[in-house]
Amino acid sequence: MVQFHEHIISDLLEDPNGGLVVLSSGLSLSKLIATLLSLHSSDQGTLLILSANPSQRKSILISNPNPNFNGGPVEITSELPAHQRNALYSSGGAYFITSRILIVDLLTSRIPTSKIAGILILNAHSLSETSTEAFIVRIMRSLNKNAYIRAFSDKPFAMVSGFAKAERIMKCLFVRKLHLWPRFQVYVSEELEKSPSKVVDIRVPMNSAMKGIQKAIIEVMDACLKEMRRTNKVDVEDLTVENGLFKSFDEIIKRQLDPIWHTLGKKTKQLVSDLKTLRKLLDYLVRYDAVTYLKYLDSLRVSESFRSVWIFAESSYKIFEYAKKRVYHFARSEAGKPTEQKTNVSGKKRKSKESSTEKEASGGGVFLQEILEEPPKWKVLRDILEEIEAERKKKALSSDEFMSENEDDSNGIVLVTCKDEHSCMQLEDCITNGPKKVMREEWEKYLLSKVELKGYQGRQKGAKKKAKEPKGFGILDGVVSRTGKEDGEPSSINKQENDALLAAASAIKNLSKKETAVEDTCQHDVSNDVNEPGRRKGKSKKPLEKHSKTRSKSKTSDTSQIASPVNEGERTGDNKVAEGGLHEGKQRTLPAANGILRRHTEDIDVDITTSRRPLPPVHFHALESDQPILDILKPSIIIAYHPDITFVREVEVYNAENPSKKLKVYFLFYEDSTEVQKFEASIRRENGAFESLIRQKSMMMIPVNLDDHLLGVNFPIESQSSVAQNSITRKAGGRKETDKEMQVIVDMREFMSSLPNVLHQKGMRIIPVTLEVGDYILSPLICVERKSIQDLFGSFTSGRLYHQIEMMVRYYRIPVLLIEFSQDKSFSFLSASDIGDDVTPNSIISKLTLLAMHFPRLRIVWSRSLHATAEIFASLKANQDEPDEAKATRVGVPSEEGIVENDVRAENYNTSAVEFLRRLPGVTDSNYRAIMDGCSSLADLALLPVENLADLMGGQKAARTLREFLDAKYPTML
Amino acid sequence: RQTGVSNNNIVQKSNAIIVSHRQKGNPLLKHIRNVRWNFAEVIPDYVLGQNSCCLYLSLRYHLLHPDYLYFRIRELQKNFRLRVVLCHVDVEDVVKPLLEVTRTCLLHDCTLLCAWSLEECGRYLETIKVFENKPADIIQGHMDSDYLSRLNHALTAVRHVNKTDVVTLGSTFGSLSHIIDASMEDLARCPGIGERKVKRLYDTFHEPFKRVV
Repeated sequence: MVQFHEHIISDLLEDPNGGLVVLSSGLSLSKLIATLLSLHSSDQGTLLILSANPSQRKSILISNPNPNFNGGPVEITSELPAHQRNALYSSGGAYFITSRILIVDLLTSRIPTSKIAGILILNAHSLSETSTEAFIVRIMRSLNKNAYIRAFSDKPFAMVSGFAKAERIMKCLFVRKLHLWPRFQVYVSEELEKSPSKVVDIRVPMNSAMKGIQKAIIEVMDACLKEMRRTNKVDVEDLTVENGLFKSFDEIIKRQLDPIWHTLGKKTKQLVSDLKTLRKLLDYLVRYDAVTYLKYLDSLRVSESFRSVWIFAESSYKIFEYAKKRVYHFARSEAGKPTEQKTNVSGKKRKSKESSTEKEASGGGVFLQEILEEPPKWKVLRDILEEIEAERKKKALSSDEFMSENEDDSNGIVLVTCKDEHSCMQLEDCITNGPKKVMREEWEKYLLSKVELKGYQGRQKGAKKKAKEPKGFGILDGVVSRTGKEDGEPSSINKQENDALLAAASAIKNLSKKETAVEDTCQHDVSNDVNEPGRRKGKSKKPLEKHSKTRSKSKTSDTSQIASPVNEGERTGDNKVAEGGLHEGKQRTLPAANGILRRHTEDIDVDITTSRRPLPPVHFHALESDQPILDILKPSIIIAYHPDITFVREVEVYNAENPSKKLKVYFLFYEDSTEVQKFEASIRRENGAFESLIRQKSMMMIPVNLDDHLLGVNFPIESQSSVAQNSITRKAGGRKETDKEMQVIVDMREFMSSLPNVLHQKGMRIIPVTLEVGDYILSPLICVERKSIQDLFGSFTSGRLYHQIEMMVRYYRIPVLLIEFSQDKSFSFLSASDIGDDVTPNSIISKLTLLAMHFPRLRIVWSRSLHATAEIFASLKANQDEPDEAKATRVGVPSEEGIVENDVRAENYNTSAVEFLRRLPGVTDSNYRAIMDGCSSLADLALLPVENLADLMGGQKAARTLREFLDAKYPTML
Repeated sequence: RQTGVSNNNIVQKSNAIIVSHRQKGNPLLKHIRNVRWNFAEVIPDYVLGQNSCCLYLSLRYHLLHPDYLYFRIRELQKNFRLRVVLCHVDVEDVVKPLLEVTRTCLLHDCTLLCAWSLEECGRYLETIKVFENKPADIIQGHMDSDYLSRLNHALTAVRHVNKTDVVTLGSTFGSLSHIIDASMEDLARCPGIGERKVKRLYDTFHEPFKRVV
């Protein structure tokens, strides 16, 4: 346990009311909670932990410091029967619970509140006055004034969004103390910096193409932001590229634009989503390899090209251009130049290179040249790993006697952390199989997907190619020479490029079988050619990269050696070099080619040694998976492949907790990249958030008698409420005095929403039950189905809404559909420009109209916000009787005899049989009545031959459909 | 337009929206483009079919004349099954006036539809007219048309029968007609199908559609 956690806890325990703790991200909140839990003893009462997400729950359980604290808190789920839950509530243990279960149990008085010691609330930044947690706390406080509320958040930035958010959260939790624990707090920084771990910060330079892409993206982003500013709809201050790097940027923009969203033009909306896309592009630039990146760009172009603004910006052209250049190079060339040899990449099946060159030359050649640039970090990672291993060996040799001691505090585990699973797997692959092979695989995948993308256009050509291929002709050549003859103009270059890609793709498709065939029949030379291009290209690329230490170079070629299945002698190697020199000659001077030659011979020497040099055991971990990896693995060397501020903090805490361990941390940054920028900005941002919180704290106005002040609004829950108390609350609520308390019956499932909370604030009594029909029962006559806007659209498509309304109409005199808009979103369905010229069946207007027409008794209520809904409910209930709980729960539920109470139709009809009938194929709204007249029961119907059915159903076709369905053989597994 | 043609038989059956003379000058009329309309002497603002009518209300007007809506609804009497109040939301502060309109509609059997622009108002009127005889299948949800999902859909109409039961029933009896034909004992022999489900299923299949009281 770290010292500052003790400080936090002792501070928190000072106030018996509880408090709100905000700490920097990565400072092991879950350990803090676990410690807090271990301090809990059962005679204090039961401790409930609210709104912990699954990964938090897991890490709290793992970091439980006290093993005899019987395995940590258990989860209370809805599967537990009520009496069992009740027993747990009074047991004095600690439990995870969801707010939905807790609120229902509180409202139904199933919780012995006096036995509750307190509540811990995680993720406090997501709270608001209307959230269920606030509702829970309010009721809890009204019943048990001694229970403490301790809320936690490790997302300080989220705590400062919006006006005085921290203060409002504290008020709704009835806590008075705000505890701020930033990373720069004295205790924290002292402890974390006491024995600093060895940190190696490696800045990997980006290669020119990456730089080019980054620059271009930032340019486009800037252009989009400028455009945005011009709309005058958004606060200019927030519109900076730095902000644009973060996800929260979307939220900032959204918060500003949501209320006026429907008035925005298409262009502004597009700008918002474009910015998001661009941010992703920036992020992926440092995370993805060149091929995957290009693939993403390609699919982006296919999916977005018509809508987005940015794709047409000038700089975005550069993005695509550079991205392509990192993967392959496509060019037309004059006949006879030696560079032609590059074409062999796809001219793989050629018997001899010379012939291919000539053919292409005569065809007026275009060629596709693979570049397959590797991410610079890969090489560096490998360097580091080897260095680690070398060091370890050295140590082992020099100090054999200390070995055992050494092993105690450094178990030699090397941990590499990446952002996502994808990079983890790729890196692992890269370490085991070599980067060349990984890139090649990606490239092959890319080409194949390209074929899919271009599927229909290329189909014809592909067919031709495939027909040709078995004859042993070069695929690319077949296409290229044809196109070359047909139209040699430069305008067709795009088409030719596509053709070339497609050709390469189909080549790869057939490569595997081809390769084996080739190896069987042909001479070594051929198979050699097949494997060669990748390697050669890789080498020619190398001199462009900054990290041109010979060692790393030899390594890459070493790995390419692994990748090539054919083992080759010196002679072929020389051959190759000669060729390399030739094509190299185009870009560089002759000495450079010599350099390659020298290096290559070196390669071969080193090959033998490096192939024996082992790498240390490496663990890869994706930060996204949210696991307390450090505590599980206890690594002694950490390589942060994608540095992330939270993870850095975790490492710091881990280091402080294990001072005996000589921890070494490597950070891999791309120099001058947005990666660095983002990392630094996230620190600045967090500090800024804390500064703002500190300022807020100094000005906070939290009333001392918080309880009296705020609890007055609502009713005590065991509401045999005395009239006196009632009238006081009425006055406090500023409402007219009425002599009866309003009651609303609410379906259990509705407690996911905030409406019950707001209704309760309004002074209504909430009765949670499981309802078969409707969401809210306001009176014996009024039943309400609530739909938020998103819900509305969804349940129209699924048909659920229709069914729900049908049920309501069947059982209640006044069935109501409540369409609830969100307070901070615009109050409208569609902007005028979205309405369109024609009546279309898919429009929400059409669906709503149909609903109204089919259920003329249905009443539709349009509510601006939660609070407006509460007003409407109160007003609708004004002259009505209170609903009957027992009756409401029985509605729609058939009794033992299968007869549904209150159902007018049930007395006259076998409702489930009718429902069954109407769901059969061929049965429609228009003919089901006739069928019911024609035969007495379903069993009767099942015996009727097609002819009789046709009479009843008014058509042969429908009758046959039904008959076939009835008699269809049920498909079995056997 | 053909204002003069105002016969009662036109009111009875017409493929045009019949607009009351009171609506003359309402800019909304400009936005009814997909359906023909003509003026006539009718009580509601718009007659959209034999059984449906519509009253138009601008929220701004309602603020000035809060009683207007009530009197108009009272005039309608009970002549129409579907009585729509088409409310044009043209004020910023909607909560209070909308509450009043909602309450009035609810207590006097009117369906409230809100629209935020004249185009939208026009579209509602058009849609009601165009969809006059349209079945509700587009909002009933389309399920998959393959055999299994249809069978699921049908059998789960019986309460408490779940998808597993459907599989059990299907594989035991082989076809739907055999399931329907099965005796209570046979049904009871299926794993997972308890006494109550057996009775529900059996009753569904064998009780007559119409109960004889």
